[in-house]
Amino acid sequence: MVGKSVDLKTFSAKDGLWVAFVVILAILPLIPAFSSNSFRLHVMILILLYASMAQAWNIIGGYCGQVSFGHSVFFGIGAYGAGMAVVTYGATPWPGIIVGMIMAAIVAVIISYPCFKLSGHYFAIATFAIVEIFNRGFLVWDWVGGALGLDYPIIKEGLVNLMWHQSKTGYYYSALVIFVIIFGTVRWLEGHRFGYYMRAVREGQETAESLGVNSAAVKLTAMALSAAMAALCGAFFAQYNLRVDPPMVMSLDTSMKFVLITILGGAGTMLGPLLGASVLIPLQEYTRAFWGGLGGGVDLIIFGVLIILMVVKQPDGMIGLIRDVGKWASNKRAEERN
Amino acid sequence: MSFRMSKGAFWATLAVFLVGVFCFGPGMGQTLAQEKVIKIGTLFPLTGPVATAGQRCQAAVQTAVEIINNKHPELKVPLADQEGILDGYKIVLVHADSQGKPDVGKAEAERLFNQEGVWALIGSYNSSVSKPASLVAERMKRIFMCGASSSAALTQRDMNFFFRLAPTDETESVEFVETLKWLNQKKKANIETIGLIYENSEFGKHAAGEAKKAASAAGLKVVADVPFSPGATNLNSEVQTLKNANPDAVLGALLGADYSLWIRTMKQMAWAPKIAISYCSGYQDPVIAKQLGPDADFFMGSTAYSPQFNVLMPAVGDVEKIFKTKTGGVPFDGDSIQEAVAMLVLAQAIQKAGVLDAEKVAETLHANTWDSPLSLGGKVAFAKGGQNSKAHSVVTQLQGGEYKRIFPEEMADTEIVFPIKPWNQR
Repeated sequence: MVGKSVDLKTFSAKDGLWVAFVVILAILPLIPAFSSNSFRLHVMILILLYASMAQAWNIIGGYCGQVSFGHSVFFGIGAYGAGMAVVTYGATPWPGIIVGMIMAAIVAVIISYPCFKLSGHYFAIATFAIVEIFNRGFLVWDWVGGALGLDYPIIKEGLVNLMWHQSKTGYYYSALVIFVIIFGTVRWLEGHRFGYYMRAVREGQETAESLGVNSAAVKLTAMALSAAMAALCGAFFAQYNLRVDPPMVMSLDTSMKFVLITILGGAGTMLGPLLGASVLIPLQEYTRAFWGGLGGGVDLIIFGVLIILMVVKQPDGMIGLIRDVGKWASNKRAEERN
Repeated sequence: MSFRMSKGAFWATLAVFLVGVFCFGPGMGQTLAQEKVIKIGTLFPLTGPVATAGQRCQAAVQTAVEIINNKHPELKVPLADQEGILDGYKIVLVHADSQGKPDVGKAEAERLFNQEGVWALIGSYNSSVSKPASLVAERMKRIFMCGASSSAALTQRDMNFFFRLAPTDETESVEFVETLKWLNQKKKANIETIGLIYENSEFGKHAAGEAKKAASAAGLKVVADVPFSPGATNLNSEVQTLKNANPDAVLGALLGADYSLWIRTMKQMAWAPKIAISYCSGYQDPVIAKQLGPDADFFMGSTAYSPQFNVLMPAVGDVEKIFKTKTGGVPFDGDSIQEAVAMLVLAQAIQKAGVLDAEKVAETLHANTWDSPLSLGGKVAFAKGGQNSKAHSVVTQLQGGEYKRIFPEEMADTEIVFPIKPWNQR
């Protein structure tokens, strides 16, 4: 077998990033074997979950350029799908997860169709309003538990019920599977014709249409796909917390997390959501663990200050930092050659 | 001289910080096997809309621990005349903030048990947080003492390690309706219709459900059912709905600042029902009562404690002095005192069980009736599911800024002012 040698001179920062990503993917399944610390595993689960959520948002927000603040609605529909399957119907969560994903995609298409007639800030404002409508609606809808929410009973642990009591390892691998599904889909989309259509719509809707791209169909399809992925994450969130109520899942707070993580990591890039979640989630969890008990929101103040500093230092997101490092390295190489 | 950190240095510092906390952060080091220490976790909303109530609950547990760990012969409270329990074990508290969010509360409960190594938990004020957090404790076969969460659903789960001190919204609803019936009989009040205003949360929704049941059983008609989002900035439409329906009595489940907003909005709209009774809520918060001043007068609610109850609970006064040093002079209220009771009863049970075995201590908690001078009625006993069967509260009315006992009659110290005085006649 003849191997192709790597030319280090042409090895860019982007290549380095991909190598790092592949190494991380290889290491991720091994983490539970090396760490019995349940808090650390909890942080890892949240990183995988929030990276997946942000990646789901990235499909419509980053690649297609439609900034939605309404993704907590789809996240919530997924959470309620799983929750109702277990709590209301006493079944396993699996049919609920499938139904939740389909319902989220349908709802996304129904509410997006009129909203896509709006552009820019107006589209974003409309999605804000949709979260409030769904939040209030679910709070008074007794069939889905209303404000009381749905509390899971303690049932047999395992993959069938997607529930584990004694260890977080099962949850960790479930989050990893979701992470691989969503990141894999986006990676596939990046190289697919549909991915190019989305980016064309983002860069200029009229231009894309002049080249024969049906922008309305592209945006609706991207939104449906993004919503279904968000619903999958919501279902896992419900299974992990064993409770669903509207403020937990269908809130502006949750919607902001979708956006914040992606923007912080780098919108419209595949690795941005993972970078954003890898920084934001440990900061959130560890500042709370260290300083939350002091009261007075010391942890939240520190968390907020760190986010401000990060945005000031790196307005392009974490991915911008990688690009800066890449530029610095190529400049250095150029200097050495001269 | 100006300090300007380069971009690279900033990110390098942040990376070192993250790696540091990940490797050496919570739970990395094993809990030091200190002798004669029992770690107890507290889980309250220290930030968010009900942060002040959560902070007072935390201070109440700290007060109880101070009494348990040190000799206080001047206090007429169990365990005050000795230092520590189980021949010298001291209690060490580990605090956590639930932010009033169920998912955060659950994660913090897991961290407290698994990483901080706490032996039991006390919390969590919000019923919606107590539910998932106590489920964590139950799965780990650890004790969860719940002072103030009032949702009756909490003790309808047949849990073995969950114990709740406060009266439930179910018993309070019955008590409120009894008060209305008493007014109809004794004062010819002619109360026939009821309005409900409640926050749309586990606490509010459950309280409203119990109120409807109790009202229906008493033949009272519910003419207004008004939920609102907690942390509201405006209650105009909610109060307008009540005003239009004009019920004789209003039952309210409003926490913290929502309660004062409700009162101020009623004043703004120049409307008040004949009588308004609130569940354990903003009504019994002494700071809110003080902020509202005369506007708070003539409204009523259930109260498990106020400084005016010292005749009934003489032991509280000296304990309250310690509590006030932690709250800047704010006295106990009906919620925070329940958290102090939760800690004291747990310590008594550990002492009686004689061993740090959660199952044995839980059995002991169930099997005995506990002396509790900080409780109205003086006793605590737990029924199956963990509800304190001796939990009492009194319906009070704020008059001149003081909580006056009104019902039951045998505990009353003042005549009720009925109906509520119109705003322009105060």
